Amino acid sequence: MLLRDCPVISKRKPESMALFAVFQTTFLLTLLSLRTHQSEVLAEHLPLTPEALKVSVNSAQQCLHLQWTVHNLPYNQEFKMIFQIQISRTETSNVIWMGNYSTTMKRNETVHWSWESELPLECAAHFVRIRSVVDDARFPEWNFWSSWSSWQEVNVQDSTGQDTLFVFPKDKLVEEGSNITICYISGNIQNDISCYLEGEQIHGEQLDPHVSTFKLENVPFIRKGGTNIYCEEKQRKAISNGTVLFVSKVLEEPKDFSCETRDFKTLICTWDPGANTALDWSKQPSQSYTLFESYSGKKKHCEEKNRCNWQITQDSQEIYNFTLITENYLRKRSVNLLFNLTHRVHPMSPFSVQFENISATSAVMTWKVHSLGDYFTLLCQVELHGEGKMIQHNVSVKANGKYLLNELEPNTEYVAQVHCADDNHFWKWSEWSGRDFTTPEAAPSEAPDVWRTMKSGSHNVTLFWKPLSKFHANGKILFYNVAVENLDKPSRLEHRSIPAPANSTELTLDGCSYQIRVTASNSAGASPAAVIVVSAAPGNKEIEEEIIEGTEDGFSMSWKPQSGDVMGYVVEWCDRPQDPLCDFQWKKLGPNTTSTVISSDAFRPGVQYNFRIYELSTKRIAHLLERKTGYTRELAPSDNPHVVTNNLTSHSFTLSWKNYSTKSQPAFIRGYHVYLKSKEEQCQPGAEKAVLPDDTVCCQYKIDNPEQKTFTVENLKPESFYEFLVTPHTSFSEGPSGTFTKVRTPDEYPYMLVHVIVPVVICVVLLVCGCLLKSQWMKDKCYPDIPDPYKSSVLSLIKSKENPHRTIMSISDCIPDAIEVVNKQEGSKIQSLGTRKSLTEPELTKLSYLYLLPTEKNYSGPGPCICFENYTYNQAASDCASCGHAPVSPEAPPSQWGLLTSSENLLKALEKNYMNSLGEIPAGETTLNYVSQLASPMSGDKDSLSTNALVPPPCSEYKMQMAVPLCLASPPPTENSDLSSITLLGPSEHYR
Amino acid sequence: MKVLAAGVVPLLLVLHWKHGAGSPLPITPGNGTCATRHPCHSNLMNQIRNQLAQLNGSANALFILYYTAQGEPFPNNLDKLCGPNVTDFPPFHANGTEKAKLVELYRVIAYLGASLGNITRDQKLLNPSALSLHSKLNATADVLRGLLSNVLCRLCSKYHVAHVDVAYGPDTSGKDVFQKKKLGCQLLGKYKQVIAVVAQAF
Repeated sequence: MLLRDCPVISKRKPESMALFAVFQTTFLLTLLSLRTHQSEVLAEHLPLTPEALKVSVNSAQQCLHLQWTVHNLPYNQEFKMIFQIQISRTETSNVIWMGNYSTTMKRNETVHWSWESELPLECAAHFVRIRSVVDDARFPEWNFWSSWSSWQEVNVQDSTGQDTLFVFPKDKLVEEGSNITICYISGNIQNDISCYLEGEQIHGEQLDPHVSTFKLENVPFIRKGGTNIYCEEKQRKAISNGTVLFVSKVLEEPKDFSCETRDFKTLICTWDPGANTALDWSKQPSQSYTLFESYSGKKKHCEEKNRCNWQITQDSQEIYNFTLITENYLRKRSVNLLFNLTHRVHPMSPFSVQFENISATSAVMTWKVHSLGDYFTLLCQVELHGEGKMIQHNVSVKANGKYLLNELEPNTEYVAQVHCADDNHFWKWSEWSGRDFTTPEAAPSEAPDVWRTMKSGSHNVTLFWKPLSKFHANGKILFYNVAVENLDKPSRLEHRSIPAPANSTELTLDGCSYQIRVTASNSAGASPAAVIVVSAAPGNKEIEEEIIEGTEDGFSMSWKPQSGDVMGYVVEWCDRPQDPLCDFQWKKLGPNTTSTVISSDAFRPGVQYNFRIYELSTKRIAHLLERKTGYTRELAPSDNPHVVTNNLTSHSFTLSWKNYSTKSQPAFIRGYHVYLKSKEEQCQPGAEKAVLPDDTVCCQYKIDNPEQKTFTVENLKPESFYEFLVTPHTSFSEGPSGTFTKVRTPDEYPYMLVHVIVPVVICVVLLVCGCLLKSQWMKDKCYPDIPDPYKSSVLSLIKSKENPHRTIMSISDCIPDAIEVVNKQEGSKIQSLGTRKSLTEPELTKLSYLYLLPTEKNYSGPGPCICFENYTYNQAASDCASCGHAPVSPEAPPSQWGLLTSSENLLKALEKNYMNSLGEIPAGETTLNYVSQLASPMSGDKDSLSTNALVPPPCSEYKMQMAVPLCLASPPPTENSDLSSITLLGPSEHYR
Repeated sequence: MKVLAAGVVPLLLVLHWKHGAGSPLPITPGNGTCATRHPCHSNLMNQIRNQLAQLNGSANALFILYYTAQGEPFPNNLDKLCGPNVTDFPPFHANGTEKAKLVELYRVIAYLGASLGNITRDQKLLNPSALSLHSKLNATADVLRGLLSNVLCRLCSKYHVAHVDVAYGPDTSGKDVFQKKKLGCQLLGKYKQVIAVVAQAF
């Protein structure tokens, strides 16, 4: 049982072995001589019971140290003996351990022995007893067990108070993962006690009413300060006591133990120490390390945990056998290392690294190494880093190293470094030593890649070139030289120098062909020339554009060569076609290439890219071969066209989106969809039903021509609401679901009004305006002024013959004697309507006379009546027939003409003018009043006239005379008609 | 006993050192000679009050630092492990006369100073990496020393008290680690409680 950790102190006296060797022969003789006597002793069964048994306790190590002696051993000689030991716990009958211990001893010699208890000794009383037997072949007669010694009690914790609680062991040091038993001793057996390890309750078994034990298995390492174990008395609600368990990490074996030398003076041994097993409270310091060399027998305590220096002596020891020992309070471990010193050489870093004769493509690297002796050769490795590449070279070196670095790139920064190792027995490379250097510039090695664009219809050429790669530039490009040579006529070369980093220049040329040479120059020289020819006849004929499909990786395109004699092909495009600068790009291809893939990081989905493929002739003249266009990925149109509604009628309207550009869309527009919503369930012919994303149903018209940007929706109903949406569609999708626009078809009638009535009204207004402008002419033609009676020829005749004082003929002077009524034949009337000339014929002039004669019916009093002729009236009446307007009184303003469109208005106007005429005549001057010929014969008029001071004499009857146009003519009057007196007259008709 | 000699005894010697050290102190306050090495500060009571306030302000932080450094079960069982159950702690009566309060304060400070010295010694061994706890313990001990000197100066100059009998806490040097942790925690809990009362009393 746990005997290993307790120090066993049993020891024989050191002189016994020596004496035994020297006097071996003597002892044997003596033994023989005493044979008889021994037989007698055995016969007496001497008591060989161990005596003077003493037990001491080491509580910290939980050890019992026993010492005893055997007094009754005969003779003063050593006996090989076996001691049997019994240990009981709590009471003597509870034997918990029994074992044998063999040793040799002499009489009265004290034997020591230790036993380690798994239970803290404070937890219970222990009892020990021993018996012995001689296990010696020389004395077989003594080979029997002695009696047991008396029990020796060990009681560490002998007094326990009523209210005390103890937890054992105290501050025990154990190794992580080990098993340990703890106990508590309580003075009060009534207490309910629970114990915890870092808060976790642990369960144990009761040893006796006061003692409980707990077996902790595989204890963990928690902290360097120890693991708290405590016991709580439930009734007192107090943590009465506890203990701290110092758990150490397991001491690890050192890893990667290695020794080497750099100068043959010191050996440096290193290792990985593993976890530190130190604990607080000085319970355990960090593990120690000791280096032991077996050949020399030297030992060295290492100050550091992971390395140790060992001085090499000058005795030319080559082989070393090291043992590295590490230990702490609980464990000891070691590792071995056997090696030849010359195989463990780790050279020191090279030094004095220099570069000589640095040119654009080569340099010489030199360095020095620390000498290890004349017999040592070092293998040095030179590493050259530059331009992202690394090149290695191996060189054997004695003392000074040298290496030619060639195939370098001009104007390039390099880092060269070197490290060395023992060439004979490679062990380790030294650390790197290095420096950097830069090669000088060289002339550019390649002509720049040149291309051009030409504006159509002009001689402006924009020359582009790509910057040379660093590999070809061989330095910093300072400027580009452009030389222009006229190929059609001899002229001086035109040179132009463009400073870098410009990548284009514009040339204005005439109609000739030119050869353009471009070179790039750095401080070391110029590159070969790039030659391009601009032809006088560019011949960029119209070539139909072909649609190609791109992918995320680019555009794959191919073309058909037109002529077999070509230098190559050029594909040009713009990386950013929507930008004004467009980021012009090109790609040159060999003569045998008829397809390529154009890719660019700048390509974006939804952007249309246009490619032109040129064929380069052997004369370096470019001819446009093909045109391609496409998208890397077509996107759904983002916008719908802005639609304008035209020609809205009751049955149709026209949609127009002419401003919609199909070129700037994120996909090829294949046509349009016109969606029409209406209350009608059926779609018109040419449309089909479609379900929109919002599940509404509408009619869809398809337009497959992207350039058709108008559409007429027909067969609609008047006074109906319609909603429409025009959206473009591509090969895989259509435009967004936009907002429908509402349209209401108008009514049919207002449509007719607008289209028929309005023009008529406009014509009438125009006609009236024309008439107003020509009013004087109309007046002269239609209703000339009534002649002044004073200026009549009749008056002049009377004046001159009868009364020179009278200016107007008196009505009393006129004695009517007869009245003659002229009846006009209907036939003549019709006849007169047929021709205007009849009015001027001589035979009809008589009919123009009006004879005013008294009649039986109308004449109410005596008095002469006169008759007079009115030539003007007749003439005017005849003229009026042709103009179609009704005449009015002389004083009537022109504005009143428009009122004379009905007979009633006409009468009113006439009445008014009539009255005015009367009022204007001075009453005192008229014995014979001349009354206007517009007097009304109506009864009403008669009444009004009777109140007037200028009432004409009864004998006088005035007949209204007027002329109206034929177009307003009324039916022929009758005798009974009230309007008989205002019957509209035709030409050459008389009315009463 | 070695630890006692190394920790408490030198502390007491320092605390009681004065001009003429080595001669026995007068037993009867007021009757013997009472001389201070340096003249007392004119505003001594204010200084005492400030020192008490300073201790009161840092007592809780010290308590927390301590029980946190001890590991479980201390932080979660303060009532069971760190209750102020220090039986022999010197009494303090806040309603006494200034002289009586100063005498009691002197005993309290002396007790605390010795106990804090033990705790500091133990914690430097038990928790060598708890530097903030060590720093706080040292700072508190420094203030306690200054306060003890000031109180003694006041007692001597005003009340002619040259000697005060003091008592110290139990010696923890022989106790196991758990008991040291527990006693230290109880002491600091008591200190936190008492120093608040004392600071209020002055």
